[in-house]
Amino acid sequence: MTVPMGDPAAPVVDPAEAWAGEQEPARKPEEPSLSAGEWLSKNLFSSAVNSVLTGVFTLLVLLAVRGLLNFTFSEERTWRAVKTNMRFLFTHAYPQDQYIRIWVCVGAIAVLSGLSVGLLARTGAGISMKKLSMNLMGMGGVIGLGILLREPSAVVDSEGLVVHREAAAVGDSFVDWLDTNALAVLGVLVLANVALAVWFHLQGTYLRDGPEPRLAHGVLVLASVGVLIVQQYATGEIARESFVDAMADRAWWWLGAVVLAGSGAALWFGLGDSRRRNTFVPAMHVFFAAAGIMVLSAWAYPWGHYAFLEGEFISEPGRTVAMTTKLPWTVMWALLVGTFLLGRALSTAPAARRLRVPLNLLWVMAPFVLYWAVLRDPDLDWDHVLSTDIPMAVFFAVLGGLVVWYLTHPRIGEAGRIMAVVLVGVAVLNWVAAYFGWYPMLQKARISFLLLAVVALLAHNFAGDRSQRLRLVVAWVAIMAVFHWLVTLVNSPSTVETPTDALIGGFGITLIVAVFTLLAAFPLGVLLALARTSKLPIFRVLSTAYIEVFRGVPLITLLFFFTLIFNLFLPSNMSLTDIAGATIGFALFSAAYLAENVRGGLQAVRQGQYEASDAVGLTTVQRTLFVVLPQALRVSIPPLVGQVIATFKETSLLAVVGIFDFLRIADKVISAQSEFLGVKREGLLFASFIYWIFAYNMSKHSQRLEKRLGVGER
Amino acid sequence: MSVSDATTALTEELAARDDMIVCEGVNKWFGDFQALDGITAVIKEREVVVVLGPSGSGKSTWIRCINRLEAHQEGRIVIDGVELTNDLRNIERIRSEVGMVFQQFNLFPHLTVLDNITLAPIWVRKKPKAEAEDLARSLLERVGIPEQAEKYPGQLSGGQQQRVAIARALAMEPRIMLFDEPTSALDPEMIKEVLDVMKELATSGMTMMVVTHEMGFAREVADRVIFMEDGQIVETGTPEHFFTNPHEERTKLFLSQIL
Repeated sequence: MTVPMGDPAAPVVDPAEAWAGEQEPARKPEEPSLSAGEWLSKNLFSSAVNSVLTGVFTLLVLLAVRGLLNFTFSEERTWRAVKTNMRFLFTHAYPQDQYIRIWVCVGAIAVLSGLSVGLLARTGAGISMKKLSMNLMGMGGVIGLGILLREPSAVVDSEGLVVHREAAAVGDSFVDWLDTNALAVLGVLVLANVALAVWFHLQGTYLRDGPEPRLAHGVLVLASVGVLIVQQYATGEIARESFVDAMADRAWWWLGAVVLAGSGAALWFGLGDSRRRNTFVPAMHVFFAAAGIMVLSAWAYPWGHYAFLEGEFISEPGRTVAMTTKLPWTVMWALLVGTFLLGRALSTAPAARRLRVPLNLLWVMAPFVLYWAVLRDPDLDWDHVLSTDIPMAVFFAVLGGLVVWYLTHPRIGEAGRIMAVVLVGVAVLNWVAAYFGWYPMLQKARISFLLLAVVALLAHNFAGDRSQRLRLVVAWVAIMAVFHWLVTLVNSPSTVETPTDALIGGFGITLIVAVFTLLAAFPLGVLLALARTSKLPIFRVLSTAYIEVFRGVPLITLLFFFTLIFNLFLPSNMSLTDIAGATIGFALFSAAYLAENVRGGLQAVRQGQYEASDAVGLTTVQRTLFVVLPQALRVSIPPLVGQVIATFKETSLLAVVGIFDFLRIADKVISAQSEFLGVKREGLLFASFIYWIFAYNMSKHSQRLEKRLGVGER
Repeated sequence: MSVSDATTALTEELAARDDMIVCEGVNKWFGDFQALDGITAVIKEREVVVVLGPSGSGKSTWIRCINRLEAHQEGRIVIDGVELTNDLRNIERIRSEVGMVFQQFNLFPHLTVLDNITLAPIWVRKKPKAEAEDLARSLLERVGIPEQAEKYPGQLSGGQQQRVAIARALAMEPRIMLFDEPTSALDPEMIKEVLDVMKELATSGMTMMVVTHEMGFAREVADRVIFMEDGQIVETGTPEHFFTNPHEERTKLFLSQIL
């Protein structure tokens, strides 16, 4: 069917469709939602075996939850250590009067995130009311169960000492008996569960004879929960609050649980079945609401306060949160939501699609800009910048621009190849000269020249018409501008003074090292994978050797090498900071693993794809960039994300080379503060939780990415 | 007019045209197995040649040697006056002159139909994007699926995919088209739509070399049929000659098995 192009307003009616419109279309009947009871008997008690499994695993999960709750909320935990040290954990000794820099960074990321999500994210259906109400009810229920399962507080006397019960009182009541024999009782309940299932099974009546068998199993499960709860209030020699007192102490928690479960239930029962399933809330709105509640909590709940001010550590348990914390977080939230709404409003504009590339470039640039221009606050030597840096950048931008323009001419032919080879020769000569000291040259000029030579070698692959060539020239000029600007910043000292030579510590350094490691390791890993599958033996051998060596060496060895030993090999006027050295070590190590993951993806690209690319005349570089790599990378997303998560967590090894990273502060530093001597478990649990949140988000994001890239493939 | 008269007339007519593909004593081994054994043949401009033979006879190997997807080890292959050697520049030049269609389509699954077709014109022929897209749309029109431009290959039927593959090859404006069993992976009801496109291509004067098992296509469209067995050319002739009065015993045996 051809669409009349001349008149876009003319309605195009497919005759088949018009006919179908008059008929009653055959529709798949909608399945009604199951009620709670139906859902349970269908999913948890559908057969004898399933019922036993449900009983046993419910018990195991409850035991584990109770253990975690009692660990977390025990009187022995000093959570004040984490609350008070929150700022210390995330930024270490970053000076308070410079803190605005960190907020600028966070704000920039908030703005970028809001814009990206608002402008570019696909507006899927979002979260259905059904799911939302179920989640709310579930959360309320879990919190309620948690309150019940949690150990009551010990009774203390006027001096704050734990009161012990008199020996005579022990063993008096049924409750005390249950306390001593709880495990035996639970064992009997489990056995009863199994016996019940076997009996019904032998009778052959499990599914036929109405709800009784399931009901019996349900009662046994509830009895197990009851035993666990009752046992909490009968704990041996230490005198505990009574059940009523404990519940009264947890009134706020109950309120939260009731609000969550109640709002969930209100949604569930207020909306009809079909409306519940077919009404959707945008996922972002739910996220913003949750984030908003967390920010609000900073205004309402006394987290405490920690700072490094004018060379001194200040730590206050505090009755509030410092204004320098809660106000910025509120601003961050507003920035995120504001830019999201702005992005949404703009996303309908026709030009919105064209913003995708600049936005992605901003994301790539963000770590460099934020780290070197904001966090480090470079102390630029303006005389040098004006006399050397800027002229050199301009020189290479113009020279390279001309070279690119010339070499991307569609019919450049032999002259282009000769010119490229000459440029490579000069670039190599520069490095040889540096070694023998024939002539002085700034390092960045050598690197720029090398970049130019590589671009010249590849240029003929990207030849095209005028606009295409112009784009490449602009890209080159932009690369030179950014590169020279970055090198200038890196070479300038920082004005931010911190007590350690690391600029920022805590979770900040964890994130920074992880981001820069991945930014360096990804391209390197892809190149190594390509080299290892290359037809040229020299590439293959070098890449294989690299991968085998770096995979075979412990990461800690590499970190020690690059932070302690590597500086000895550098010329006297050059040195690596610990952070730079560690990042290099991490990057080289991860690159070897990433390379193997990408190689797996490369092997999944079928031979026919290579043949088809050859048959249409693509060069090897074009074939790799446009046909092979896109397919290989898509296939290797799951292992790549696994490696990204592993790298993120491996940054905790920064501690062993003396950098104050997140885990080191949580583990060693807090427990050495005089106020919190020996308090370790809280910090470690908190650190695990934060690592988990980040790793889980990466995993979720990669699943979305896989789904999105799966478009069009069977 | 007798069959031999027709053959003579064809030979004379062909002799006047330019040579497009010249093979002289082409030998190729896979390990110790000789896949091509002294292949000598000339294919003229605007000629449609169908290569027949039992499986394993070297048909596909031969056609793949012509655009250097496989390298021959002895003999000469000259395409449109350029000899195939190890020189990369010659190979690049020949590949952009010779279009190829594969049994398994080999479309790029991560690109839309339109991007599949415009990829090579933009990067190999250095065409501006808009021009390449116009060309791609007119080619899709030609193969009968203009409405599928924005879809991905995985969303198309086999027959549609193969027609996209033909359009992709044609987008390079080749002088020669090679077809390596283009209908063997297709369901029976889709074979016709692909053969129709190939017939249209043949009548438009394209030089074509087709490896196929479609005897109907060979009989109707081919100017010449080449029969191969064990890496050798056994018999060459017009379709009438080949299907009605073959000389060689092996040809007769082959035809008796498939007809």
